[in-house]
Amino acid sequence: MSEKISRRDFLKLASVGAATTAVLTGCGPASRYVEREPYMKMPEYSYNGLSTYYATTCRECAAGCGLIVRTMQGRAIKVEGNASNPVNLGKTCARGQATLHGLYNPDRVENPTKQGRSSALVTDQLDWDAAIKIVSDALANNNASEIAFLMGTGSDHLFDLVSDLTSAIGAPAPVRFGALSMFESRATLSKAAENLLGQSAMPFFDLANADVVLSFGANFLETWLSPVAYTRGFSKMRRGNPKRRGYFIHFEARMSQTASKADEWIPLLPGTEGLVALAIGRLVAEAKGGATPRAFASVDLLEVASTAGVKLETLEHIAQLIVEAESPLAIPGGAALGQSNGLSTAEAVLALNALTDNLGKPGGVFVSPLSPNEDAYHRPANAQEMTDFIAKLKSGGVKVLFIHGFNPVFELPKALGFAEALGSVSQVISFATFPDETAIASDYIFPDRHGLESWGYQRVVTGTTQSVLSGLQPVVNGVYNPNTSEILYNVRGTADVLIAAAQSAGGNFSQALPFTDEVAFIQSKLVNLIGEADGSFIAPEINTFTAYFQQHGGWWKNSAELSAPSASSVLSKGVNVKAAEFAGEGKFYFLPFVSPTLGEAGANKPWLQELPDPTTTVMWNTWVEINPETAHELGVTNDDVVEITSEAGVVKAAVYLYPAIHPGVIAMPFGQGHTAYGRYATSVGVSEKFMELVPTSQYENGGKVSPRGANPADVLGAHFNEAGDLAFAGMKVEVKKTGEKQILSRLESRIGVYGEGMGEGH
Amino acid sequence: MVIDRDICTGCQACVAACAMENNLSFVGEEDAGYGRTQHWIRIERLWEGEYPEVKMDGGFQPMLCQQCGHAPCEPVCPVFATPHSEAENINLQVYNRCIGTRYCANNCPYQVRSFNWRDYHIQPFHANLVNGQLVFPLHNQFNPDVTVRRRGVMEKCTFCIQRIHGAQDKAKSEGREVEDGEFTTACAQACPASAITFGRLDHEESLVSQLGHLDRGVQHLEELNTLPRVTYLEKG
Repeated sequence: MSEKISRRDFLKLASVGAATTAVLTGCGPASRYVEREPYMKMPEYSYNGLSTYYATTCRECAAGCGLIVRTMQGRAIKVEGNASNPVNLGKTCARGQATLHGLYNPDRVENPTKQGRSSALVTDQLDWDAAIKIVSDALANNNASEIAFLMGTGSDHLFDLVSDLTSAIGAPAPVRFGALSMFESRATLSKAAENLLGQSAMPFFDLANADVVLSFGANFLETWLSPVAYTRGFSKMRRGNPKRRGYFIHFEARMSQTASKADEWIPLLPGTEGLVALAIGRLVAEAKGGATPRAFASVDLLEVASTAGVKLETLEHIAQLIVEAESPLAIPGGAALGQSNGLSTAEAVLALNALTDNLGKPGGVFVSPLSPNEDAYHRPANAQEMTDFIAKLKSGGVKVLFIHGFNPVFELPKALGFAEALGSVSQVISFATFPDETAIASDYIFPDRHGLESWGYQRVVTGTTQSVLSGLQPVVNGVYNPNTSEILYNVRGTADVLIAAAQSAGGNFSQALPFTDEVAFIQSKLVNLIGEADGSFIAPEINTFTAYFQQHGGWWKNSAELSAPSASSVLSKGVNVKAAEFAGEGKFYFLPFVSPTLGEAGANKPWLQELPDPTTTVMWNTWVEINPETAHELGVTNDDVVEITSEAGVVKAAVYLYPAIHPGVIAMPFGQGHTAYGRYATSVGVSEKFMELVPTSQYENGGKVSPRGANPADVLGAHFNEAGDLAFAGMKVEVKKTGEKQILSRLESRIGVYGEGMGEGH
Repeated sequence: MVIDRDICTGCQACVAACAMENNLSFVGEEDAGYGRTQHWIRIERLWEGEYPEVKMDGGFQPMLCQQCGHAPCEPVCPVFATPHSEAENINLQVYNRCIGTRYCANNCPYQVRSFNWRDYHIQPFHANLVNGQLVFPLHNQFNPDVTVRRRGVMEKCTFCIQRIHGAQDKAKSEGREVEDGEFTTACAQACPASAITFGRLDHEESLVSQLGHLDRGVQHLEELNTLPRVTYLEKG
């Protein structure tokens, strides 16, 4: 055979053959199921050393949930719930999870700063010795009566330390406040408990053992009092008892996240919740037979039904459910109490509980136990007391103001005039961890440690049947620069700063705080607990006790210590719910609510910003909820920016057509609208100091700070209920189309929503 | 996994816990609006009816990779980056094989895969400038057990495979089997309502098996024969 195969032909044939083989083997299912163990060892499978776990307490709100933080090589990696802490039993909320984004936030105050009330964070740094000298001079050189401390609802140990200091030097006691306690109407709840149950305390609602639950505006699955504990209670109410499924009815003008879990959501006109509670009470009393108690006797059923916008049959049906229930429970809270008639609303709802005879019984209302080192329940200031405090600032009665754990410039309604009142204070010293609006408006910022770097304790106000003192310890020793191993954030515990300053001021001051450091102070408060009966651990002396306190994440009583309020006098008292008064001439009721994902201070944590709101799925911005029918009448649709005007101010935000809101009501979440507080809370770019390194196209507005979203507190007026809480849901507003558009980022698809994207005829 | 929709409150704790455990990137407002969020688990909510009779149909629905026994995403990958693991009976994603065709995401009927459109975590926007260098404080939080993904890579829920293997290795070193409830996924661990239960479906006595056999259990898109490993408990 003379036929030769050329080199080129050989290669052609060879490649075809190889390709055929490859295709045959490559396509078969066998190759997907081959034994591939060695190649499949992904990094997830390998060991990276061992983790260390520390118990501490969450400081994202004041509930006092216990945490176990996983750390590795000095870094906090993951937050998990402390399974033995009675408040949260191993669970956390989204804000607790994201607390790491506070610890490692790029926008922390890096050094003690001479801020000088500049419009943005300045770089004029001090060292800590100079800072302590400034605090010491501020304490020593001013008349004690002209020194004031303003504090948040967290950091109970620091509050105790400041209280000891102020009482020793004759200064006014520290004032505590927080937007959460304002929107929870805490003062109203404890005042109602005092009026009806005879003790000023935080009621405990035993949700877990109730079978029919009526919530009058209480958003207990979101931010109210102790959301993780109440979520557990809700879960048990629904599915804890295999023989029954708890039935849940929620009354509120807007379907909140909590309301969305209700079997029946009854939209009421704002301000009528108390009347509806009385009407239900009367129907229940009549169905049960016998004389109608005085509390419910005077209510006119038909009138209530027509005022509230609810059918009488609905009320009768609910009353029937209560009569048939074994342990019905009624919970007052949230916007229902933030009305001019909020206190009587709370009383009416508590009286409803007394009528069903559930005070002090499983599934009923109890009084929360006091925390281990507490003498009585001390509530934070109400808005009325804050107004008085601001008046004192304005009058020049305060020469030096210390602020810790609270951002009043953002959290308080603008109408209260806190920002302007700072002008009458000679020296404002902030201990803020983050450059928030109040810190920026201060003379000095002496940054406190983040909660995960701090010592301390937190008293548990409610949420559990046990008496609990949750403990904090640093889980990491500061935040370091990974490139150089130098400390990145040069911060110091505020308690340490105050102790050092008091020591240096001498006299009364050093006698008030005779401690070497923060831990010594905490030990002085814990020492009383040694030898207390029924404790979660026992220790012979203070050092062992402190070690156990850190290891367990706190100290608590083993058995339940709920006290049962007396029902005897409740029903004989008349409860007179007046019609709610609304401020302003507008057409719409205005209903602000705390963002369930952001809370009062979550806006600077990027992962919280990217969590969709549970009911609207909007991320990273503020929206206004308007009923689609109402929006149609106003000529606005999704993403149209509207201007909301009240007697107190104006705010602008984009419309979200919300199918589950009363047509006469518009609602807006609180939590956004920051003008400072870092790059994630505002819609800037980034600190301008390295703009040259980064193309400006990366930033909105070319790097200038502008608010992200809007703050509904800007339109709230200074109106209060009978307990001094802000009547935040007692405003009427005007809504006007602006013609602007702002596209809201949402998780949900827009296609098919109100016919969008579906083409003609849908 | 079993998820009880009757007690899920939609609080997003699972979403945040997943993000922290698995080094998920946040993408910012604009990209989030384009649907580019990196949520391995998301909470869906569906409306039913009109005001005032409006309801949330059946409550919130956490949606995550169903770890299908017969997964539509698997056969479409040209580079075998999404193979099936017989060992854990889950659907894997091999990041260093993935070339970003996004065929798998297109084929997923549950829409639970997310694509890295950018290198989110190393954008200078998130950095501070220290002595002329970009420093990323947020990187301190990264979980060293989980790969940080770069752009062009598809990702999805892994049922916290790093935790599964951690528990297996621990049990092996102690000469025993992994016990039910010894570990759980980040989402189930955080859930304040205890709506999520994780465990072995092939062990009859495990809690997840028992819950999965309740009458109110349903599996989504069963008609596609995907054999999902997640059972949802309806209101019932």
